[in-house]
Amino acid sequence: MKFELFSQAELLQIHEATVEILKRVGIHTTSPRFKVLLMDHGCQEQGDRIVFTEDVIAKALKTVPASFKLYGRKDSHVLEIGQKRAYCQTCVGTPSMMDLETGEKRDATVEDLEEYTRLADALDYVNIISPIFPRDVPQEIILTIETATLLRNTSKPLSICVESARELPYILELLHLAAGGEEALHAKPIATIPVSPLSPLEYGFDPAEALLDVVEAGLPLGVEPCPMMGSTGPMTLIGTVAQHNAEILAGVIAAQLLKPGAPLTMSSRATFMDMRSGVGLWAMPEMGLAGAAMNQLGSYYNIPVAPGGYCGASKVADAQSGYEHLYNAMMEALVGSDIIGSAGSLDNALTSCYAMLVMDNEISSVVQRTIKGVEVDEDKLAVDVVAEVIASHGNFLAHKHTRKYLRAGELWVPPLGDRQTFEKWAINSEKVEDKARRIAKELIATHQVLPLSPEVEAEFDKVIARARHIEMGE
Amino acid sequence: MSNFNELAESVISGNFGRVKEITQEMINKGVEPLQIINDGLIAGMNVVGVRFKAEDMFVPEVMMSAKAMAGGMELVKPLIAETEMPSVGTVVLGTVKGDLHDIGKSLVAMILESGGFKVINLGTDIAPEGFIKAIREHKPQIVGMSALLTTTMLNMKATIELLKEEGLRDQVKVIIGGAPVSQSFAEEIGADGYGSDAMVAKDLCIKLVGKAS
Repeated sequence: MKFELFSQAELLQIHEATVEILKRVGIHTTSPRFKVLLMDHGCQEQGDRIVFTEDVIAKALKTVPASFKLYGRKDSHVLEIGQKRAYCQTCVGTPSMMDLETGEKRDATVEDLEEYTRLADALDYVNIISPIFPRDVPQEIILTIETATLLRNTSKPLSICVESARELPYILELLHLAAGGEEALHAKPIATIPVSPLSPLEYGFDPAEALLDVVEAGLPLGVEPCPMMGSTGPMTLIGTVAQHNAEILAGVIAAQLLKPGAPLTMSSRATFMDMRSGVGLWAMPEMGLAGAAMNQLGSYYNIPVAPGGYCGASKVADAQSGYEHLYNAMMEALVGSDIIGSAGSLDNALTSCYAMLVMDNEISSVVQRTIKGVEVDEDKLAVDVVAEVIASHGNFLAHKHTRKYLRAGELWVPPLGDRQTFEKWAINSEKVEDKARRIAKELIATHQVLPLSPEVEAEFDKVIARARHIEMGE
Repeated sequence: MSNFNELAESVISGNFGRVKEITQEMINKGVEPLQIINDGLIAGMNVVGVRFKAEDMFVPEVMMSAKAMAGGMELVKPLIAETEMPSVGTVVLGTVKGDLHDIGKSLVAMILESGGFKVINLGTDIAPEGFIKAIREHKPQIVGMSALLTTTMLNMKATIELLKEEGLRDQVKVIIGGAPVSQSFAEEIGADGYGSDAMVAKDLCIKLVGKAS
């Protein structure tokens, strides 16, 4: 299946604009390490900015791996990043949660993190899990607690976005324990670590240092700035895409210069501003279009891509959030996406919602079905079958070809959506968001997560205690 | 009188050069500086405020109008004693420690300025001590803090705590804003208000200083 937004000539034109931005404007960084790395490889200082040369860009882009694998703990999940499978990833860092009982928005808690992660573990078409942002844990060790909580409540691969390198040692220690050692984690990484520099083209100290530390630790990196069309990027969609591409490539280049062959994803998040209020929108169609554009650029460079897509401006799990998430995710998947993030989110990725995650599981299912495409071969074209059925004056129901392909999974089966007769549906008249809420409750109550061993659990407690001691003086 | 209309219209259309021209002409003719401000510059900006609220004007256009008004104000200001400058109130604004996000806070600064507030925009990555210093220096009625990151929003609380320690908490109203921030968070950390967008922030400030716009 192949959808394209741009012709080859257009792609080249966008690439050239990006290169010109990197050469003329470059980036600004307050990390001496980041700066020295770039300068050592031929980037130049121009005022307070670091500008790139065509040689550095070409050299670094050559060593980016076109694919890598991401694992769940104990091999229960293996994701092939680079094969454009549109793996669905939950939204990171939402400070608010839609309460499963009341349906009201409230602060996210660590109990939410546990239950939401367990729900994501139970949903077949949610593939990678990122932490929400619990408000009832100490800020100083929040990423340590998030990582431990994720590992205790899912065996799926993780994505843990860091804003600085401060807690990285604890995160790595927990991942080593869960994966069975440092070498085991390197051989089979169970998490990607995205970092988010500022738009436009700003590598502040914390994200710049974190980026280098993640690469040094050998874990797959995500380069995830988040420009807003019209305020931190140009008003035009393609202008923001060219700038976004430049700021992402700057991080990609730094990673490759530090460690050629370091696995990473271009994790685009091109949002736009509501010019009536100044509010940042993760809505449609611009978010999905820009994500699709960035995906095609990723394919052009042979670099895996991981845009945000299961997102929109709707405040509740409803029809609007359903069509927004489907539009953005499908646009990105059609052009070719390795990961699509923000699943379960509402209100421009600020709130997570149990019911929405169940709805996004449904959307992910149909997105992943769609990009598998439609296979064309003689047996499936079934000309003989048509002839036989017509000759027999029967219908296709009775033909063995029907049973064969039905059982082979020719029809997509919705994990959530209603397909009953009107009469059966009318007995409960259940709306999809209510059904999603009911399923979420059932799964949270019944789903069993592959447990960590008691030894690893005990070691986790020690890591958290040590983080508490060192970071909080307890 | 028609000159005041033209001045106001030039503010509304965001014509920076024309606003400065007309303002200078008026000054040269000896028009009362306060009248230039009230009947020309602020009159124009008031219309902008109304149109923005009615969604007839967009953020970048309002910014041009605010910039144009500021251009005129700059010419008139030296002619008026500081105490006579019409001001709804003084607001100190900054993005909290560890956070480099600037856009939302600067948007609020612009909207407040255009609403007649004197705004001291401290910039980004402002530690609690930075807010304290600015409060001592500028004696604002309101302090506004912004954060975009969930990890930095908690520094708002640290600033409020330091305000208490320094004995300044009763002297200022504290307002907060930013994508991850909410009314409940404002209540939790003991802020006096939360603005969900820049216009709400302006209305909130007007309410807090107890003056009608």
